[in-house]
Amino acid sequence: MTAMTSVRNYVLLAIVPILTIGPRLDARQERDAGGFKAPTVALERGRTVYVLNHCHFCHGDDLTRATMGAANLTQSALVGADEDGNMIGPLVKAGLPNLQTAMPSYVELTSAEIVDLARYIHYLRQQARFRELSRVTNAPAGDRSAGETYFNGAGKCRSCHSVAVDLADIGRKYDTATLRARMLRPRPNVPTDGVSPTDGQVAHLKLLENYTAADVQNLAAYLGAR
Amino acid sequence: MNRRDLLKALAGAPLLFARQRPTVTTVNGVVFGVETFSFHDLPPSGDPQLIPTIIKSLQILGIAECEIMSGHIEPFASVMTGWWVQSRRSPDFPRLREEARQWRLSVPMTYYRDIRRRFEDAGLRIYLYNVNFNETFTDAERERTFEAARELGAEGFSSSTVLSEARRLVPFVKTHNMFVAMHNHNNLVDPDQFATPASFETALAMSPLFHVTLDIGHFTAGNNDAVAFIRQHHDRIINIHVRDRKRNNGPNRPFGQGDTPIADVLRLIRNNRYSIRCYLEYEYGSFRPSLDEVQTCFDYCKRVLAS
Repeated sequence: MTAMTSVRNYVLLAIVPILTIGPRLDARQERDAGGFKAPTVALERGRTVYVLNHCHFCHGDDLTRATMGAANLTQSALVGADEDGNMIGPLVKAGLPNLQTAMPSYVELTSAEIVDLARYIHYLRQQARFRELSRVTNAPAGDRSAGETYFNGAGKCRSCHSVAVDLADIGRKYDTATLRARMLRPRPNVPTDGVSPTDGQVAHLKLLENYTAADVQNLAAYLGAR
Repeated sequence: MNRRDLLKALAGAPLLFARQRPTVTTVNGVVFGVETFSFHDLPPSGDPQLIPTIIKSLQILGIAECEIMSGHIEPFASVMTGWWVQSRRSPDFPRLREEARQWRLSVPMTYYRDIRRRFEDAGLRIYLYNVNFNETFTDAERERTFEAARELGAEGFSSSTVLSEARRLVPFVKTHNMFVAMHNHNNLVDPDQFATPASFETALAMSPLFHVTLDIGHFTAGNNDAVAFIRQHHDRIINIHVRDRKRNNGPNRPFGQGDTPIADVLRLIRNNRYSIRCYLEYEYGSFRPSLDEVQTCFDYCKRVLAS
């Protein structure tokens, strides 16, 4: 085995789990009338609040099938700006009584339940946004220059990364699909009991909830060219 | 009769024998039905298994009649008929709404007759057709929808509609001699919505063929008194939707855990022999299949009426 072959094998070993974990986790089988069971105890608490307060009837059990005029929470700016229920909580408690078919007021929810609910909604949103944004599409190739602007500006990528250091040659390390997947959601793909996400993962999850498709295309074009 | 005719006659015989006369499900004299919205885990609109699943669900529950949502009859979801104003903001809405309109105007009436036959063959009936009339309907569409309801065997409509649309429906109920029962929600701000006794009374004055589907859960969530309203207007109420919500726009809860006076209402109807049908509507949260929860709702009502 040559040194080059050995390196290639290690790279393959690193990439294969990334490619296999995603689909398998998306295809979790265990489900009930409230949707798929959540991957951690804390998220399952949030799912309990979500389902027993019948949020899923209007917003969908994975947020992507909103009905009866309800907001699509995968696109809601309010949810995108929320931190642990600071935006979601007041709205859920007050309800939206003046809608055509009113959203009920959930005044009896405790502060802890609001936090659990909000974290579960964010988890569902991250899953949905990951599926949406990582889907290979016929979208036009991204704009490198716009990607650079986002990297150094609105995305705040530069506060943790450098294209001259940790991201140097990243375009040669990963193919486009893998690069997009790593950009959208650094491992692990779903939360696991006993494993707290790193600060970097938390920041990426926040970005994941708020990227536009163009942001992702542009960033991929910019980083892919490094 | 030759052999081919005989075989043809025998092939049709099981259907003839299987067809049962639609019955009425009563509990201590109170008639029960189901709003098919209660079956949350049905196949999607247009799926060939949708109607068979509804029929099977009603048979399992032992409930002979239903109020069937238009999205369970038509091959597109109810949302495409324009009731939810929020849904009209979708860029696809105009195209999909027009497709729905063209389907309604072109589908042969045998389509509805066939659905009616499938219910009747199972000993069931569609008592009410739930269509949410609104200003996106053309008159031609309203006309065809009334014809469709008749072919389905429905006595009339239940409709989540608004007062301005009710005015447009006056000539149609008269021409077809078919009632529309207005269904309420609990939006107390928009004066066009059905949510208060006054909003119902305004519609009832428009036509003797306008009636009420009183959703006692929404009515309670809007801080109205369902018992008082039923006492006053029982002769104009076709059916009630039985659900339990908390007051002050509170959430749906399992029967007996909200603020809705379900027990008082059911006993009022029983004791006064009001001809008001009681339709179960399951909408609280649960991890169990909806059919199990509808059964739980029905069992609660049975216990109430036994005492």
